[in-house]
Amino acid sequence: MNIDEIFDNTSFNIDREPHIVLDTTICTGCDNRGCVNSCPARCYTWSEEDQKMTFVHDGCLECGTCYVVCHMNAFTRWRYPRGGFGVAYRMT
Amino acid sequence: MSKAYQAIVIGAGPAGSSAALTMARAGMDVALVERGTFPGEKNMFGGLLHRMPSLERIFPDFWERAPLERHIVKKGVTFMTGDSSFSTTIEAGNFDNPPYNGYTVFRPRFDRWLAEEAVAAGATMITRSTVDEIVRKDGKIAGVTILGRSGQLNAPVLVAADGVLSFTAQKAGLRKPSFDPAQMAVGVKALIDMPREMIDDRFGLVRDQGFANEFVGCTEGVRGGGCFYTNYDSLSLGLVFHLASLRTSGKTPYDLLNAFMEQPQVAKMISGGKLLEYSAHLIPEGGYDMIPELVGDGIVVAGDAAALCNATGLNLEGINLASHSGIVAGEAVIAAHQANNFSKQGLTAYKKLLEESFVIKDLKQFRKAPHMLHNNRIYQEYPQMMCDFMESIYRIEGAPKENVTKQFLKSAKEKVGLGNLLADGFSAWRSL
Repeated sequence: MNIDEIFDNTSFNIDREPHIVLDTTICTGCDNRGCVNSCPARCYTWSEEDQKMTFVHDGCLECGTCYVVCHMNAFTRWRYPRGGFGVAYRMT
Repeated sequence: MSKAYQAIVIGAGPAGSSAALTMARAGMDVALVERGTFPGEKNMFGGLLHRMPSLERIFPDFWERAPLERHIVKKGVTFMTGDSSFSTTIEAGNFDNPPYNGYTVFRPRFDRWLAEEAVAAGATMITRSTVDEIVRKDGKIAGVTILGRSGQLNAPVLVAADGVLSFTAQKAGLRKPSFDPAQMAVGVKALIDMPREMIDDRFGLVRDQGFANEFVGCTEGVRGGGCFYTNYDSLSLGLVFHLASLRTSGKTPYDLLNAFMEQPQVAKMISGGKLLEYSAHLIPEGGYDMIPELVGDGIVVAGDAAALCNATGLNLEGINLASHSGIVAGEAVIAAHQANNFSKQGLTAYKKLLEESFVIKDLKQFRKAPHMLHNNRIYQEYPQMMCDFMESIYRIEGAPKENVTKQFLKSAKEKVGLGNLLADGFSAWRSL
């Protein structure tokens, strides 16, 4: 299984408006960044070179792992997508 | 959009649909609000639907009506290292006779069915609707707003069945504003396509028989475990990780899942299969100590939203607890409706009914299990010890044999330490 191919086997109806908004300046000062490795959909990427966190909500599985592991209150918004948007499991 | 109901249930999972069904059957005008396109669209789980005594009471023909996959006749536990595994399985004749002890199911099908039963009983289903804020009037709960839409849904009482993160319970002040990673786990799962005959032959199954297996030692030292289930014509293979352990491990769920799938013995189980779907979900694993306030003025909390999940290390139960809590939440709301008293005191029957049931009794009984499961040795050293010991027993190479006790103590000493072995044994005995 290749996580880069998540869109090949899990369906999404992506909302243009992100349901999670991150204040990435807070992530720069984080001593842990457990979100990067813990997110099962690899939505978080930390660039050591740029000292910068990037977050993409497109493949978010709405599991809530980042919401629980973040101890920096880095989210300016964390909610579920609007009704009808987001991940759509067919038979799991 | 502004509509009035006698009660609003937030979330059409097993807890919410059971609550809505109970209230609708008693003639209440209840709205069942779901953020997915259909109920179950957002849901996944480890794979087993255990006996559902409370739903069996509502539907005497529950096991004929519900959309189920295979019934489990064979259950196993595997202690695993990177290249070895030691398994025990129980296949009981009684597991093959109704009432069956457990089924595999697909949540998008099962949850949808249960919600449709609530609708058939008279509940109003409102899909594609993410509840946003709780509306209050004169200090009392008066309804909810829907994200991205104007207007509101009105009702004097809410059942918060909106899942493990329950923002509804948070906004009502019933759960703490943040979660402890030590009380949460994340599950990831691969659904693997495989022809039915191949599954039957490979796992020794006939008719609708199914096989379920748990794994320990498959998480590279991260606290957690694996699970495997046979559906009719697919396999579910998943891993669960304690978040407090995962977040500091530097390892990712998908890399660990890949490594699990490539472990030689697991690779043989799934070879020839094709990945169909990848999913993830949180599990509230804190047990009794994690339960939020269950009742507030104008609101009750049920299912995962109330952390009603029993993870003892042997079984993982959630849907049965959710469904029972939904039913008794519905019963308490009916009583409050009849008395026209939706205050905390008027809804307090919910807490009482839950405390008298297996839900809270079991969670209390296994209250110490979450702490016992925070022992890192369970996830690496013990599985290694088991595999080493079994290998040494069966290895025959012409050298004189040590006696079995000596061999066991040798494996234990090398991998775990004898003091730890005693302490862990005592701790496991105390919590189970």
